[in-house]
Amino acid sequence: MRSVAVAREADARSLFRMYQLLALYNTIVVLLLGGFLAITQQKILAAGEARAFLAHLPNLPMAPAAGFSATVAALLLLLGAGALYRSDRFQGAARHFYLAVELLCCALLIRSLDFSYDGVILLLVADIVHRFEGRRQRVLLAGAMLVLYAVSVYSLAAFQNLVVPFDAYAAYYAPNVRLLFTVLKNGASALNIVLFMLYVIMLVQKKHEEEERLRALGAELAEANVRLRAYAIEAECMAETRERNRLAREIHDTLGHALTGILAGIDACLVTIDAAPDFARQQLLKIRETAAHGIKDVRRSVKKLRPDDLERLPFRAALAHMVEEYAEATGMEARLTILHYPGNLRAEEEDVLYRVVQEGMTNANRHGGAKHVSITLSAERGNIYLLLSDDGSGCDTVKAGFGLRHMEERLKLVHGSLRYWSDRGFTLEAVIPERSEGKPAEELTEQVAGKEEKR
Amino acid sequence: MRAMGGPYQGAKLFFAFFGLFLLVLALVSLPPRERVLTVGVVAGSWWGVPEGEPYERLDAAIARFEAAHPGVKVRYTQGIRKGDYGEWLAEQLLAGQAPDVFLVPEEDFARYVAIHALTPLSPLAAADQDFSLEAFYASALSAGEQEGTLYALPIECVPRLLFVNRTLLAREGIELPREDWTWQDFYDIARRVTRDTDGDGEVDQYGFYGYTWLDAAVTNGAEPFGPDGTAHLSDSSMEEAARFYLRLQGTLLGHVPRAEDFDLGRVAFRPFDYATYRTYQPYPWRIKRFSSFAWEALPLPRGSAGYASPLSVLCAGIAETSEQKDLAFAFLKELAYGEETQRDILMHAPALPVRKSVLQEATEEDMAALFGETTGYFPPERLDTILEAGRPEPRFAGYEEAMRLADQGMRRLLESGTVPRNGLLQLQKDVTLLRTRQGAR
Repeated sequence: MRSVAVAREADARSLFRMYQLLALYNTIVVLLLGGFLAITQQKILAAGEARAFLAHLPNLPMAPAAGFSATVAALLLLLGAGALYRSDRFQGAARHFYLAVELLCCALLIRSLDFSYDGVILLLVADIVHRFEGRRQRVLLAGAMLVLYAVSVYSLAAFQNLVVPFDAYAAYYAPNVRLLFTVLKNGASALNIVLFMLYVIMLVQKKHEEEERLRALGAELAEANVRLRAYAIEAECMAETRERNRLAREIHDTLGHALTGILAGIDACLVTIDAAPDFARQQLLKIRETAAHGIKDVRRSVKKLRPDDLERLPFRAALAHMVEEYAEATGMEARLTILHYPGNLRAEEEDVLYRVVQEGMTNANRHGGAKHVSITLSAERGNIYLLLSDDGSGCDTVKAGFGLRHMEERLKLVHGSLRYWSDRGFTLEAVIPERSEGKPAEELTEQVAGKEEKR
Repeated sequence: MRAMGGPYQGAKLFFAFFGLFLLVLALVSLPPRERVLTVGVVAGSWWGVPEGEPYERLDAAIARFEAAHPGVKVRYTQGIRKGDYGEWLAEQLLAGQAPDVFLVPEEDFARYVAIHALTPLSPLAAADQDFSLEAFYASALSAGEQEGTLYALPIECVPRLLFVNRTLLAREGIELPREDWTWQDFYDIARRVTRDTDGDGEVDQYGFYGYTWLDAAVTNGAEPFGPDGTAHLSDSSMEEAARFYLRLQGTLLGHVPRAEDFDLGRVAFRPFDYATYRTYQPYPWRIKRFSSFAWEALPLPRGSAGYASPLSVLCAGIAETSEQKDLAFAFLKELAYGEETQRDILMHAPALPVRKSVLQEATEEDMAALFGETTGYFPPERLDTILEAGRPEPRFAGYEEAMRLADQGMRRLLESGTVPRNGLLQLQKDVTLLRTRQGAR
């Protein structure tokens, strides 16, 4: 961000330097030309050729000293008004006043130079263009150039009867000198146009570069966004891994603890069962309690764990396996239909869907006493749908138990939602938005995972 | 991003700049404190005749003007001869030091109008209640006009006259023509006097010298050029004048008299202007100018189709750059319209006044004081008639070049001995073409 500001400032500075060069060049040309006109007039006066000189003029020129003074005064006012006009300090009426003064001085200056040099108009155009941005600037530039063109043509045509031509002054000198002066004058105009063109090119370039910089900035921002998203996913994964490890430890601790306790208790029972059956019975009760406690612990922990199937098999196969196994174990008839298999499912989404199916089937069997359950998975219109419907008893008012609430919570984690209702049995509907732009994130995740591995 | 110094900084700078702007404007347009009026004049007579006290009449006019306008000084540069005046004036104009009021050389008038060196006078004239353009001879006034706009006021004028050798006419037994004489009278006398006087077989006495086709044209009411520069070289009055001139030339029998022939008394008529007449008519000059014969001046003879009298007019104008145009006009008015100044011209200058009332109110005694006892040829009313019929040369831009071409063409035609109608038409076409080209420039 800061480098952009610096670059912009550097651009503005080099543009301003170009403008200064243009202004300096015009000042020099104007002073030289004004001096030339005044000195030539003075020479004509001294040589006693005033009458012959006047005979070729369409208008009475200003006196040499007055003309030169007018030129210098108009030039100074023009430069002053131009600087004030360009300054950021003024807005509104004040700026318009400066522009008006600048225009007036420009006209006066050109008039005082007898239209011999109209290059200062370009200085004026540069000032005007500098002040306007965007489309107005382009229109303005075009307009100003048109006006300039009109002035250069018009000044020749319309003011022919009012203006003392440069040639009338040049005619005072010997032919070769006259040629030199004419060439110099025309060259000065041409060079001025070149300088102005350079200025305009720099102006356009500056704009272009600024746009480029903005575009680069936008791209940078987008990249940062992608990184941020990847980072969020990575952080999520890491948290999950950590959680999983913690659970594994917990299971180890609780299950190990319980089993160790049970083992020790059974050993004690084996020793005492004949000698003191009452004590053994009491012991067994304790063991049972420990086992029950252990199961409770295990249940609690196992819920946090990813199923074994899912670790080993692809999601689709794992799902089919789980459904089949459960149906066999419970004698319930379960049918899995995959209408449209969603692409690029994330691991946690797979987890959620797996759990929903598992829990749904458990519910159908346990609470509904269903004989048939139909499971449908589909991806349509940016959403992944999972539908579970059974022919069980259902219920009139569903009380969200631990299972349903848990399902909901899980779905929420992947921005999904859960609906359920009873009509001909019980129906569950889980919806997860499909990540259409998931690809880069997937790749980034892989990249991140790769980096992780290297570490 | 606002600069330090709060919201008033901008306003202060604005007012400072605005103040500077006004100051420059004020300095540029500030009028001078002293009321000094400058005048561009020549030393002596404008008409190329000697004049004793070069600035006497001007000084008198200035004294009258300064008395009427307290606090105003009129200054002029002394010692500029007529030959140097054109260049001097051009230099003043170019140097931005043009006099407020200046005499305008005839040949520069159109040029100075074109380069806007002269102020249009009509608004100034209209603003002055005590001034009327009606008081001037229309002919004289037209000399200061360009395309209907008045740029200069006439100061004095000089009509073209024909000098006659009275001694020669008396010797030939010819009566002095009357003042309303015609081309035919002129032709008859010219034919009669052209002969060999000493019997050596050589013609040594001629009818006229220096009378041109243009004199014939003007006195026939023809205008070679209109005031706007339109050529009228093939008009019938023009054709008539050319024919008459050809006839008149025939009286010379192929001889071409020289200027000395008139001085030596061998030519009956020669045109001069009123300035010469007025200067040499009074006694001592009279003898000195033409010692061998008695002479008199006549108006130019009238043509058959109309009559006009060639007139030279001296005009003065106001510089466009003058910062006190009202005052300048007041002084110009003193010169052109002031009764005393105008009467001074009649009585003391080798020229005639342009204000009608001066001639109209002049008495016989005045005329006697002017011309001596000699003749009754120029009583005031006759001079008045001549001026009423006066025609100044047109002064449009490019006049000299156009006139040169017309003159050359006409001379070529006359030399051929005939004036064919289509020759005049061709000349008219050539000159019109030249005018078109001049206009395009």
